[in-house]
Amino acid sequence: MNYRSVLTTCPYCGCGCRFFLQVVDGKLVGVQPCKSDEISQGRLCIKGYNAHAFVQNKDRLTDPLVARDGRFEKAAWGDAVEKIASELKRVREKYGPDSIQVLTSAKCTNEENYLMQKFARAVIGTNNVDHCARLCHASSVVGLASTFGSGAMTNSSLEFEDAKCVFVIGSNTLESHPLIGTRIAKAKEKGAKLIVADPRRTALAELADIHIQQRPGTDIALVNGMIHLILAKGLAKKEFIDSRTENFEAMAASVKDYTPEKVERITGVPKEKLEKAAEMYASAPASSIAYAMGITQHTTGVGNVQSLANLAMVTGNIGKPFAGVNALRGQNNVQGACDMGALPNVFSGYQPVTDPKAVEKFEAAWNVDLLDKPGLTVTDAMNAAHEGKIKAMLVFGENPMISDPDINHVREALEKLEFLAVVDIFMTETARLADVVLPASSYAEKDGTFTATDRRVQLVRKAIEPVGDSKPDWQVVSLLARAFGSKGFEHTSPREVFEEAASLTPQYAGMSYDRLENETLCWPCPDKSSKGTPILHIGKFARGKGLFIPLGHIDPAELPDEKFDLILTTGRVLFQFHTGTMTRRSPKLEREAPEPLVEINTADAASRGIKDGALVKVSSRRGEIKLKALVGDRTAQGVVFIAFHYAEAAANVLTINALDPKAKIPEFKVCAVSVARA
Amino acid sequence: MKEDAAKICRRLLDSREVDGVLGLEMVGNIPTPKVFAQADDLGRFEVEPVFPIVTLLRNIWPFTGKERIALVVRGCHELAIKELAKREIVDLKRIHMVGMACSEEQARTCRCLRPYPTKTDIGTKVKGVEDELAKSLRKMTLEERGRFWEEQFKKCNKCYGCSENCPVCVCEDCALEDCAFVRTEGIPPSKAFHIIRAYHVADKCIECGECERSCPVAIPLRSLQRMLADDIKELFGYQAGMDDRQSPVVTTLEDAPLKEESE
Repeated sequence: MNYRSVLTTCPYCGCGCRFFLQVVDGKLVGVQPCKSDEISQGRLCIKGYNAHAFVQNKDRLTDPLVARDGRFEKAAWGDAVEKIASELKRVREKYGPDSIQVLTSAKCTNEENYLMQKFARAVIGTNNVDHCARLCHASSVVGLASTFGSGAMTNSSLEFEDAKCVFVIGSNTLESHPLIGTRIAKAKEKGAKLIVADPRRTALAELADIHIQQRPGTDIALVNGMIHLILAKGLAKKEFIDSRTENFEAMAASVKDYTPEKVERITGVPKEKLEKAAEMYASAPASSIAYAMGITQHTTGVGNVQSLANLAMVTGNIGKPFAGVNALRGQNNVQGACDMGALPNVFSGYQPVTDPKAVEKFEAAWNVDLLDKPGLTVTDAMNAAHEGKIKAMLVFGENPMISDPDINHVREALEKLEFLAVVDIFMTETARLADVVLPASSYAEKDGTFTATDRRVQLVRKAIEPVGDSKPDWQVVSLLARAFGSKGFEHTSPREVFEEAASLTPQYAGMSYDRLENETLCWPCPDKSSKGTPILHIGKFARGKGLFIPLGHIDPAELPDEKFDLILTTGRVLFQFHTGTMTRRSPKLEREAPEPLVEINTADAASRGIKDGALVKVSSRRGEIKLKALVGDRTAQGVVFIAFHYAEAAANVLTINALDPKAKIPEFKVCAVSVARA
Repeated sequence: MKEDAAKICRRLLDSREVDGVLGLEMVGNIPTPKVFAQADDLGRFEVEPVFPIVTLLRNIWPFTGKERIALVVRGCHELAIKELAKREIVDLKRIHMVGMACSEEQARTCRCLRPYPTKTDIGTKVKGVEDELAKSLRKMTLEERGRFWEEQFKKCNKCYGCSENCPVCVCEDCALEDCAFVRTEGIPPSKAFHIIRAYHVADKCIECGECERSCPVAIPLRSLQRMLADDIKELFGYQAGMDDRQSPVVTTLEDAPLKEESE
């Protein structure tokens, strides 16, 4: 028996739990928690315990596939790579480099994302590179950068347990970020006050001191109402406002007419609850805000985030322990993919492509000419493909056919492409539409780093050999670049890629694999002597002074009317992850949540003659799906909820492709639907 | 302690009494599970922190073939191995236990009545510690007690850590994964989840406390098990792990009956 225990980082959410993969004779047999890991402390969620289960699944892609006459045929790596390179070159020659879009993956490592954006920029010659951060926290990156100067979670995950008050808004934390959710539950037990604002009665809401059940899409009104009361009751931290911030007066003026009565009219939240929540948040010695997709996935996503920044600054709850504005990032490495510049407007380290100095720096490092015009986002690119402006796409590990809004529109867009190549570990709904599919290796088959939600960079370690003839994405990019005849992709290991990325990324400059062997580091870590920065904005904001931004309520893009009379809001369940490619192949996870359900309020179900467990039809202007009803009081009257994991009844057939104008994030959390017996 | 443990393990490997030592190795600053095959590998051998080493042993046992495995056991570990051996899940003939007594601090943290194995090779025996929470729960009315546990169970997010890490949670078909007993309805799971888990291990729980240590929301599961163990002792005179000839009181051993005589 050859037994090995390999310490690595979980491939699911952004908590960043480390655990030991259990390997016997080259096979993964289980997951063992790591007692000395800071984040998980020897505990995991059910997804963590089952993180080995999908890796050696029989459905793994094991060979490159090339589509011929509507069927996939196995191909040699060399031929498949050559096919992609020649097609991309043909499209580039005919329509120009900006007719090509590259989608990178928040499941992939930092090293891989660095190489993918380098490939798009330096090899293809376009800034059209983006990934699913667009769909989750694009609003945070824009919103927090504009107010604080840095678009990331301000404090570390470890601090939640010792906060005196936690205000959770738009985050189903116990399900979507289990090991952060459980810390919040423990904080509550230690005496912290817990406020949960969520249109659904989530498991965390059940534990809360106050559960605010606002109408979806009314968060700015809600937070403005809290700030209004905090100012009126003299609970604002004047000294902090005077010394650390600017534009306070304009913001104060903007909340002036957000009286509890007005807020109640917009949000449906009783004014007594609002008053209690405002007082509770403002009077605790350290109050932490945790938020996720319920805040960001709106046409007012940036404004929602900025309103939370306003709230934290008014009460001085920023730049100190156990406080902050904490964007909980949804993917294992969505923070890292952003850090590495897998975004159309910035190089790694958020260095703008519009900044001539940054362009010069990367031109010198990569020895190529670069563009200074931002490229297209995921959401813009789908529209551009639909309009025939994007002609080819190279997709690493993303599955827009389930994850993006208005799937019928996505399908049309992808079908219009002249060429689509997908690199993934399974034959996804998106890969089925591709001309060439390359088999990638999973997290268990490669080295690298992931950056957790609290900017914590941690090693990922290879536990087993690549499944079949698959290759890690970093090698795939390197093969593609070489097929283009490009230099600068000769790295022989992820360590070498990390060294290059760190040398160009100021926040990572002090990090190295040698250091990460023995510690986890939260960026910014500017030099070798830095121990990292778990808490941002101490003493001074990244942008200098914190900027208050005046905001007002704006209605969601699509509200209920006579025909589509209910609000649909979408999200996750604990046991599945995103488009289900991994969790639905993990028996113990699939067992817990095997089928899509629409949660509907008892009164709404009764008026439609719908019984618990009955098959119903949910329709929107974009399409319809059939699934079973879960009747109860988890959602308020007028609101239904569907998890977006299930291809057989994909919630995103219904959702609307309405975008926040700045962040280009879709409004997954609000659209109008009708529900009827099927 | 770890030097003493490593010394004994080195001797066992050198003399070929065992083929491997299951234990922890310091890799960087992370104690990492490992099977040590050579005496020379034991340089960074580690015995802390308390680790579900018997669970690990059980998980790798089907792959061990004929190998003889040594491991450092605390009091609870030793009893757990005996419970597994009774059920023929592991074979005592291929297991060499190196007994280690726990420190006073560890005994306190674990609220452990017997913080030492039968034969102590390493460390010094310290006195057992009462479980004050279990005691105070006993003093409550049944309604109060019920409310206490209901409040605790409300925090559960169904990670299954209490069963995943439990050395003696060994049913092949898990009742927790049977919808007839526990509906799959998201979180928190119904009370049935916790009651079934506790009862299913009631006659083999050796109170190592791994369920509680593994619980991300700190449900005091150890006290629940202690109260059950007290009842079973009072009602049936049975104590898990203490007598390898005594048949378990709750579990039915279907295909593999307990040996009449231990050889």
